[in-house]
Amino acid sequence: MTAKGNEHVTVKGGDEGVTAETNEHATATRRGPMTSEERELLPTATAAQTRAAVWRLARPHGLAALGGFAVLVVATGIGLLTAPVLGHIIDLVTRGRPAEAITEPVVWLVAIAVGYGVATAIGVSLVARLGEGMLATLRERFVDTALGLPLDQVERAGSGDLTARVTSDVAVITNAVRDALPALARSVLTIALTLVGMAVLDWRFLLVALLAVPIQAHTLRWYVRRAVPLYASQRVAVGVQQQLLLGTVGGAATVRAFRLADRHVSMVGTGSRAAVDLAVAGVRLVTRFYGRLNLAEWVGLSAVLVTGFLLVRGGGVTIGTAGAAALYFHSLFTPVNIALGLVDDAQAAAAGLARLVGVVDAAAAPAPPPASGSPAVDVRVSDVRYAYRSGHPVLRGVSLDIAAKEKVALVGASGAGKTTLAKLIAGIHAPDSGSITVDSGSVTVGGGDRKVALLTQEVHVFTGPLADDLRLAKPEADDEELVAALDLVGALAWARALPEGLETVVGESGHRLTAAQAQQLALARLVLADPPVVVLDEATAEAGSAGARALEASAAAAMEGRTALVVAHRLTQAASADRVVLLEEGRVAETGTHDELVRAGDRYAALWEAWSGHREG
Amino acid sequence: MPIEGRDVLRRAITGQWKQSAGGAVLAASHQTGEALVPVVVGVVIDQAISGGDGRALVTWIAVLALVFAVLSSSYRFSARAAEKAAELAAHELRLALTGRVLEHRAGAETGRLPGELVSIATSDAKRVGAVNVALASGVAALAGLLAGGVALLMVSVPLGLLVLLGVPPLLALAHLLGRPLERRSGAEQERAARASGVAADLIAGLRVLKGIGAERAAVDRYRVTSRDALAATVRAAKAQAWHDGGMLILTGVFIAVVALVGGRLAAQGDISVGGLVAAVGLAQFLLTPLSILAWANGEFAQGRASAARIASVLSSPPAVAGGEGDLPADVRGGLALKGVSYGVLREVSVEVAPGELLGVVTTDPSAAIALLKVLGRAADPESGVVELDGVSLSSIEPGQVRRAIVVAEHDADLFEGTLLENVSAAAAAASAEPGTAVTAGPGWEVSAGSGSDVAALRAMATAGRAMAAAAADQVAAALPYGMDTPLTERGLSLSGGQRQRVALARALAAAPPVLVLHDPTTAVDAATEARIAKGIRTAREGRTTIMVVTSPALLAGADRVIFMDGDGRITHGTHAELVHDHETYRATVLT
Repeated sequence: MTAKGNEHVTVKGGDEGVTAETNEHATATRRGPMTSEERELLPTATAAQTRAAVWRLARPHGLAALGGFAVLVVATGIGLLTAPVLGHIIDLVTRGRPAEAITEPVVWLVAIAVGYGVATAIGVSLVARLGEGMLATLRERFVDTALGLPLDQVERAGSGDLTARVTSDVAVITNAVRDALPALARSVLTIALTLVGMAVLDWRFLLVALLAVPIQAHTLRWYVRRAVPLYASQRVAVGVQQQLLLGTVGGAATVRAFRLADRHVSMVGTGSRAAVDLAVAGVRLVTRFYGRLNLAEWVGLSAVLVTGFLLVRGGGVTIGTAGAAALYFHSLFTPVNIALGLVDDAQAAAAGLARLVGVVDAAAAPAPPPASGSPAVDVRVSDVRYAYRSGHPVLRGVSLDIAAKEKVALVGASGAGKTTLAKLIAGIHAPDSGSITVDSGSVTVGGGDRKVALLTQEVHVFTGPLADDLRLAKPEADDEELVAALDLVGALAWARALPEGLETVVGESGHRLTAAQAQQLALARLVLADPPVVVLDEATAEAGSAGARALEASAAAAMEGRTALVVAHRLTQAASADRVVLLEEGRVAETGTHDELVRAGDRYAALWEAWSGHREG
Repeated sequence: MPIEGRDVLRRAITGQWKQSAGGAVLAASHQTGEALVPVVVGVVIDQAISGGDGRALVTWIAVLALVFAVLSSSYRFSARAAEKAAELAAHELRLALTGRVLEHRAGAETGRLPGELVSIATSDAKRVGAVNVALASGVAALAGLLAGGVALLMVSVPLGLLVLLGVPPLLALAHLLGRPLERRSGAEQERAARASGVAADLIAGLRVLKGIGAERAAVDRYRVTSRDALAATVRAAKAQAWHDGGMLILTGVFIAVVALVGGRLAAQGDISVGGLVAAVGLAQFLLTPLSILAWANGEFAQGRASAARIASVLSSPPAVAGGEGDLPADVRGGLALKGVSYGVLREVSVEVAPGELLGVVTTDPSAAIALLKVLGRAADPESGVVELDGVSLSSIEPGQVRRAIVVAEHDADLFEGTLLENVSAAAAAASAEPGTAVTAGPGWEVSAGSGSDVAALRAMATAGRAMAAAAADQVAAALPYGMDTPLTERGLSLSGGQRQRVALARALAAAPPVLVLHDPTTAVDAATEARIAKGIRTAREGRTTIMVVTSPALLAGADRVIFMDGDGRITHGTHAELVHDHETYRATVLT
């Protein structure tokens, strides 16, 4: 048996009912059985490329960015006036001023509070608009590019890679933009301006406050070194736990049928326990981190108090100033903890950003939709050879002409190269040698002028109203066209019977369609897209035997009037085709009509006999 | 007695009471320490800085160190204990839920999607577990409030009363202000989250989109969703920003009021300067424990809701009730349906002889499903009986039934693990049980061996033969590590045909006295299917096998075929006879 050409490796993302929240973890384990040396992961941007990309995203918003930042600086500055005003009150008291004198600075305090609140709200709003706008642009460009990537490249990387980037990386960056970055920005501003404030009180306060910095810097290095790998393995463990649960719960009927419950409970137990242990390890790390930061707090606070003591004794500053300095430093505890605690989030976001930018920079715009209107188009395959891995040829010189509007069935054992030939004709892979022409023009991988549509057994129902799903194939289609397409493939009855008809939300988070319904939906999309050439790769295989017949009728209706190549398991499909081509070990072994081949009494006849079970001897 | 939400919640806490109580006590000590920091700073200003007393400075800096040491280590160990309690409680709930779902009598999945159950076993279990953290934090917040309150009252009774009585209405006001904003922002955040959901959905359907050239349309649609989400997010962020800004104003004004009253008291000489500093610091500090209390309250509310969901899964009624009996001592594998009505089945009577290879064809797919359910005791017939060697299945414990009868469904799942593990798991499970003489044809005994090593070896050998019979050896040959290739995502990394062959091999390897196969080869090519038909025959030699299929290749290999048409009429015969004589049969099977 040849490499992996015979059975395409499908990695379906997110069709198991996982919530968005859990998807992030699930993708960590979404890897096919391919080994890493076979994978060519999608590109990741370098730090410089990432910075350049962020700069490009930010540049159109330059003024807004500057404005937002300026307002936040002003807000933080206003907020920091609280401590010196409180210090002033202390001074008024120590100087023995009357109680009425307190009123004026208190009015100041109220004004500061209002100014601080309003300015912060405006600043945060501006920064949020900027960040969210950049994020939206980035994710749009990413989806744009991702959908434009040649399937060939996506398959080599494993679609898990792409799914992981669009779910977990986007989620990490979104969280960073939404929560971490504003908090980080405000904390850093607060810290910086507080230090300035302390310097204004007396430069020596600033100097001693900085005694805490070496401890904090060391703690941070210590923490990040451990946190990044720990959290990575924690995410993987949670992903594994999720997969185990999903497999066990989703397959509960199978587990019971084979009495594997004990085994599965213990598997889930082991997976869950591993996740628990890593979570506890994470808490230990975090508590040790904050423990060390507590030391820095004590060192800094004591130093400020001692300095205050010395300066007051030396007459350098007033008691109020010393009190203000102590209050300043005490108010630094929270922002410092926030800022340092967010550093690993920021690192994760930067890594995710590099993975997104890597794909966006590899840009290739999506090809235009294929020509529609089914004019007569022929397909010529001449002496095509192809291997997924060198030395393991899958196609060994296939020649095949399909006349315009002819329906050809491709049969053969697993591994004969049927799927591979189908993919080559659909332009997903380029032949190693030989040529494929459609309508007398050669097929290029991911090329522009596509005339071939490919439908495989992989079904996907797009989340949203059924009508929207159909309109992906033809955005301008009106309701009547949709109804006509559904009717043609025999799907109208169930579609009308849905709770809200064509407006029923289907897919992952909506009404669930059966495998056969999903496949009919795919055929209806095909009818709407109206390509001149269709390739159906076992598009009726998943439905079970009873459903398969109904689907075959749908498929036949959808293929009507088009040039069609059908990879067939059920030989009834072959029997109803204009011509049958039998592939064997990457070569065309027999070709002719069903009756001719059965009469010839060779390989196809043997297959037919086996399949139909001694029918008519 | 049905399990209720509060039982689940109680067990989540009492089950971990040592960690939970330890966490609460230490957290209380931490909050008290935090309350003491501004007090000590006030004392330093009063005793040392105001009076220029160096010895007092040294003493109080040392006290400050002590306070920090206590609060730091209390926090460290309380957080660890509480998180550990939370994680362990969630872990135990997860296992209890898994166990309930997998129970022989089933019933937990009724009306629930797998994703929903998984979310209950993860998110809800986590929320209930997190009640342990909320409990510790709540106790700590109360302790912090108490410590801060006492300290304030010691500084000054009126000032203390002002702060203690002023903080709760302040927070209530903030909550009141925040609620509509939060509600709105919650709804908008949800809309915003949809953007990433749509993106993931489109990427998941990448091949489908490319197949029909719908990339451009998808990109355009995504842009609309994304811009819509952006607008919602920006509105939500703005609402949140103004809410936070409002909170800053409220607390700022509150501090100003404390400063006003405290400053006047200090100016009149009622309190010291250090007392004033401490009071301002404490007023700021007290906001924290109060908001922790509000947070803990929210966590408890969420925990209660989650606990109710967990309880409803744990106490869901079984799909098949009653029947605690054992299997007959020696299962020969004779089956009889006597007047069975269930679902679309009406008064069905069929006899299957021990060792027979029977084909069953139904025109109505739901009749096939109904038949599978009553045969595996996934459901009991509404009327009539299904008998195994003359014993009614309804009188046998469902787990015992499945030792004798394995129903391999068309859409059976594969699991995490290698290909070999998947195939041999059922065989290993069967042979691991002592004293079960599950007898059958030559060369296929999987009776309990003397040692478990022998049993494991036998299971391996059985698996190998089953793989060959199901043509799953070809699947292994096409994979990078053969039989040791790990299957991911429930076998979705394999193609449909590969998956079916592995699932069939597993069913054959389990080697039960009665095996029911449902459409095992719909995605397998004709040549391989012919090979499999022979393989099933050899593998099941001498043991009862029922194939619920419409594949002519499989039916041709059966000893006898039973055909149920749409009206519930039953016709017997060989495949060849039925093809020859029966119009509807021919139409069902051959077209």
